[in-house]
Amino acid sequence: MPETILEPKEKVLLDTPWNVVVHNDPVNLMSYVTLVFQRVFGFSRDRAVKHMLEVHHKGRSIVWTGTKELAEMYVHQLHTYLLQATLEKSEGC
Amino acid sequence: MLIRKLGNDKIEFTRIEPAELDLLNKILVAGDPSGNAAAESRLYPAPADPTETGLIRDWTEFVRPEIERGFAESRELVGADLATTKLESGRLSRLTFPTNHVESWLVVLNQARLVLVEVHKFTERELTAHLLPLSFTRRQLVLIQINFYAAIQERLIELVGEG
Repeated sequence: MPETILEPKEKVLLDTPWNVVVHNDPVNLMSYVTLVFQRVFGFSRDRAVKHMLEVHHKGRSIVWTGTKELAEMYVHQLHTYLLQATLEKSEGC
Repeated sequence: MLIRKLGNDKIEFTRIEPAELDLLNKILVAGDPSGNAAAESRLYPAPADPTETGLIRDWTEFVRPEIERGFAESRELVGADLATTKLESGRLSRLTFPTNHVESWLVVLNQARLVLVEVHKFTERELTAHLLPLSFTRRQLVLIQINFYAAIQERLIELVGEG
C-alpha cells in the first residue's frame, strides 16, 4: 500500500499555528520589555515599542505566531528574561 | 553613584556610596525565591494554559532546569563582578565589568525586583507611586531598594542602546 508522505511545506500548513503571548506585569520596566523584544525577535525599535505598549495598555500582546516548536523556543527565551509569556493555539484553528 | 561606559568594552559604577554598595551586595540574596511559592512561580511561570497538561509537564521536566541553570550562571557572573568592587577614594567605591555582562546584570536585577515585590506583596499602585512617605518603615525601605535596582536597569539599558 502506498504511503502518503507529506512534503515539509504541506506539513507546516497542516500544523496548528501557535501564538506567543506576552502578559503585562507591573514590575518589568517598559524599556526592558522593549529591549527583550528586540533581542529575542529581532524587532525594530518601533515594532518592539508597539508590542510593549500593547502589553502595557491591553494586558497582553501576541508577539509571534507559527509552529509549536518555535513558539516554545520563544517562550523559553522570554522566560529567561523573566517576561510573563505563554503559548496558545491560534484562534480559528 | 555614576554608571557609565568605559570605551565599548566596560561598564563602570563609580562613586558608589556605602549605602548603595550595601544594596548592590544584597542583589543576589534579594533575588533568591527559596521558600516563597509566589516568588518561585513568578520566576518560573507556566508556559501555557493549565489545560495544556502535557506541555506543562514536559516544560517542568526539560525546560525549567535549563532556565534555572541560566539564572544560576547569571547570578554567579554578577557575584564575581561584585567581588571585584574596590574602594575608590574615602568612603566611595568603584566597580567595573565587561559590557557583555550587562544582560546578566539586567536579569539578576530583575530577579531581585520580582522576588522583593512578591515577598512583600507590593501593589501596582505602590510600585508606581512617587510620593515621599511620612515615615520610613521596613516596607518603604524595600520599595526604595526595588526602585534603586530599577534605576540601575534603566541606566544599563540606556548604555546598551547607545551601541
